[in-house]
Amino acid sequence: MKHKLVRKTVRDFSEAELGPIAHEIDRDARFPWQVIEKMRVLNYFGLQIPRKYGGAEVDSISYAITIEELSKVCASIGLCVTVHNSVGAQPIKSFGTEKQKECFLPPMASGERIGAFCLTEANAGSDASGVETNAVEVEDGYIINGTKIFVTNGGICGYALIFATMTTGAGKPFTNVFIVEKEMAGFSVGEIEDLCGMRANPVSSLFLEDCKVPFDNCLGQPGSGIKIALTALDSGRIGIAAQALGIAQGAFEAAIKYSKERQQFKKPISSFQTIQNYLADMATEIDAGRLLLYRACALKDENKPFGTEAAMAKLYCSSVANRTTNLAMQIHGGYGYSKEYDVERYFRDAKVTEIYEGTSEVQRLVISRAVLSQHT
Amino acid sequence: MKDSIKEIWVFGDYRNYFQNRVTLQLLSRATELAKMLQAKVCAVVFGDQVDEWVNEYIAHGADRVLVIDHPDLKNYKIETYVNLMIRLIGKQRPEIILVGATNFGREFAPRIAKRLKTGLSADCVDLDINDEGLLVQTAPSFGGNILAQIITPECKPQMATVRPGTFQEIPHNYERTGEIVRIPMPADLPKERVHLIFSERSPQRSQRIEEAKVVICGGRGMGSKKKFKKLTELGELMNAEIGATRPVVYANWIEADALIGQAGKHIKPKVLFAFGISGAIQHTAAINNAEFIIAVNKNPNAPMMAMADIAIVADANQVCTAMIKELKVRIRG
Amino acid sequence: MMKMLKLVTCIKQVPMVSELPWDPRTGTLKRNLADGMINPACRYALEAALILKNTYGAEITAITMGSDIAEEVLREAFAMGADRGILVSDPKMAGADTLATSLVLSRAVQTACADFDLILCGCHTSDSETAQVGPQMIEELDIPGVTYVDRLELDGRLLRLQRLSDNFIETLEMELPGLVTITTQRQAPRYVPLAGLQDAFTDKDISRLSLEDLDLDPELTGAKGSPTKIINVFSPTAEKDNIIMKGSARKIVQQLFDQFDDKIGGAIGKDIKDYQESQ
Repeated sequence: MKHKLVRKTVRDFSEAELGPIAHEIDRDARFPWQVIEKMRVLNYFGLQIPRKYGGAEVDSISYAITIEELSKVCASIGLCVTVHNSVGAQPIKSFGTEKQKECFLPPMASGERIGAFCLTEANAGSDASGVETNAVEVEDGYIINGTKIFVTNGGICGYALIFATMTTGAGKPFTNVFIVEKEMAGFSVGEIEDLCGMRANPVSSLFLEDCKVPFDNCLGQPGSGIKIALTALDSGRIGIAAQALGIAQGAFEAAIKYSKERQQFKKPISSFQTIQNYLADMATEIDAGRLLLYRACALKDENKPFGTEAAMAKLYCSSVANRTTNLAMQIHGGYGYSKEYDVERYFRDAKVTEIYEGTSEVQRLVISRAVLSQHT
Repeated sequence: MKDSIKEIWVFGDYRNYFQNRVTLQLLSRATELAKMLQAKVCAVVFGDQVDEWVNEYIAHGADRVLVIDHPDLKNYKIETYVNLMIRLIGKQRPEIILVGATNFGREFAPRIAKRLKTGLSADCVDLDINDEGLLVQTAPSFGGNILAQIITPECKPQMATVRPGTFQEIPHNYERTGEIVRIPMPADLPKERVHLIFSERSPQRSQRIEEAKVVICGGRGMGSKKKFKKLTELGELMNAEIGATRPVVYANWIEADALIGQAGKHIKPKVLFAFGISGAIQHTAAINNAEFIIAVNKNPNAPMMAMADIAIVADANQVCTAMIKELKVRIRG
Repeated sequence: MMKMLKLVTCIKQVPMVSELPWDPRTGTLKRNLADGMINPACRYALEAALILKNTYGAEITAITMGSDIAEEVLREAFAMGADRGILVSDPKMAGADTLATSLVLSRAVQTACADFDLILCGCHTSDSETAQVGPQMIEELDIPGVTYVDRLELDGRLLRLQRLSDNFIETLEMELPGLVTITTQRQAPRYVPLAGLQDAFTDKDISRLSLEDLDLDPELTGAKGSPTKIINVFSPTAEKDNIIMKGSARKIVQQLFDQFDDKIGGAIGKDIKDYQESQ
């Protein structure tokens, strides 16, 4: 009953507040601050942050449902919320000191500061160890230099988690994570990228030029950067899988509606077997994806390992999103190719779910490693 | 003692007479029902100096009018009116009581029914008498998507509120005569606990859209906020209220109280214009009671078009503009 | 010390029309299959209660009558800010009309919150649309009450109300305790916060009341206690043989006004015959 009500609650909100603007903010690549203000008080930015820091502390299935329902209407905002909550806030929650949590989590939970996760660089991404941004320890903190690219929420972030490489003496280089606040000297935001889909999310580069960060803003033990990244991405995958699922569901529902309305040969096209087969496949795959996703969520809530299951959910849901949006556009025919219909947007939005927060190829790597190690 | 002739009572709701002639409409139907039951029609009037209405009701079919005429009854007072009605019913035992489904009627009738522990159906769109001589009340639910036929087999009186505009009034006949029974205002009524402090007739524009005869509803197909505003101009020309679908309200093209739909208002106009509305069930559930629907949509297959009496396949905005232009010529001419 | 204001809202779970599994040709309706929601007007009543709570401080008791699944609307009311939830549920109550419903709800209010100050109900439900339960509770409880209220404000024990009734804007006053029914005219209900929704399932308990708890004679409730009987249900909607008009906007509009000048002109109260044409 709780999950049903969560779905209904988020659906009511999304349809009311995001539905009317989804097309326009995508077209104009505009971030809808007004709606974000409303979402802040409804706890959308503190989904899994503990109560004592002002969050809603929802369970993972509620979390997935929330992202799914937001993304079904407006994937750009679903993306903003999931990146903020998972890879933005989760590392602080899991690896921060009590002092750091008290300092950084409340403004994140209230949505006053939106989080960004900055791993990807010109020569790093899937390879987390290839980070070229570097940090040097000085008397009262660190000096960071480097450039991060394709940062989701980049243009609007209040806190950016910056992955940087450090070396001490003759030892091996290691990776650390720094919480960089947007006001810090030497931190700047690049131009907003002109992307294929999810255009309302201000994805941008971030520049760090002799950016000075206090000791208190270094997250975790020295050298724990890779571990933080991998842990964060496990949770992140749940969010992206949920997002992909929402996109697929949105496209599917649009296809159902259209196929009942559109008449050819004096019959609705939903009465033709080919269309029916498409719809059956879409429905089955979406349901299968949903079950994979909720299994990963349930494991996470039980504090059991869920990384492989989350990778499977992300791999599968993102590919379902692409197949479903493709078929939905096919069912819409020429109209589907027009920007007048939402399926065109779903089609563009779906693609990146196979790319970010671990490409499908990387998910397969994660899954195959687990499978191979289990069967030795 | 009164003889055993059955009576059908009609509550004389005259407050909003010029906009709402439901009492006369009820008298008309009551005379037909009375024939089937071999009954008489009796109107009940409370108020201050109400002879005008008493005569009007006789001219429109009442055989008898019960009147309580007293300065204290100048304004409608819910508790006092209920108490008076209960006393009259107790003495006279009518077979049927019909009340217009005005705001007051829908507050008044349920309280009467509750006191008498009898049945009441709401906002009926038809009334008939069945073979057993019972009143068959046809009442809408789910915004008119479903009609239910209801009887009250074991309790008397049988009661219904009836939607204004359901029945045709009979033309007045001031030659008609009827018995006028003047009843003194009782002195021992309980004190009214709900006090009317101030009342003013609301300006014509703010008639409730639920009661409007003509409604113009606009959807996303109008194109933009600016274009949507043209519906207001058209509305002024046609004395129509403006309604909107959910996407339009959420896009702030019009205030939220214009929302027609499941979560908004239900309407029942004589003529409904639907401009650029595709016809999602959340919307159409609230317009099923419209008598005549003219839908304008580019998509001939939109569900709204299937519901319409006239389906205009064209751009909603262009048709709206053309209507404004044409009406200006015609209404002047 | 002044006692905390005690508010009661009666909320009904109604089927979402978008979900209604019904057949427009036969008019049959499988109600138990439809997804439920808080009746829209009840949501406005709850919002009015929440505003009073925010302004004056109050305890809100939400009461619903229905099957087990109606627990949902109480949980949602918790999430929005209600403090207590009462589910009145008994198989013997099935098939109740407004007379029986108003009796059960009134008794539930007296049982669960005997010292209530104000009861707020939605002015009508979206399913049965009678708008009768509120006024009938006023009678049952023998308290002052006003229906179709748009605005309300509290001045000590005096409640000042505004409503639009049959084209009159009325300002009314009554002493508490009382009952009001709220329209969907004014303050749009708030969205449900997600943290509240989590708490609604962990921090809050729902009390259940049966007929026995209410000390009610089963003869007076459910279908037995309902004087009205439904003898037939049907759907008036049928596929219409509609007229289709195509062409230029100007031509269509002229054709429309020429062919339907009676219908349209009659409704708008203006003569729209094309005199230039006929002269």
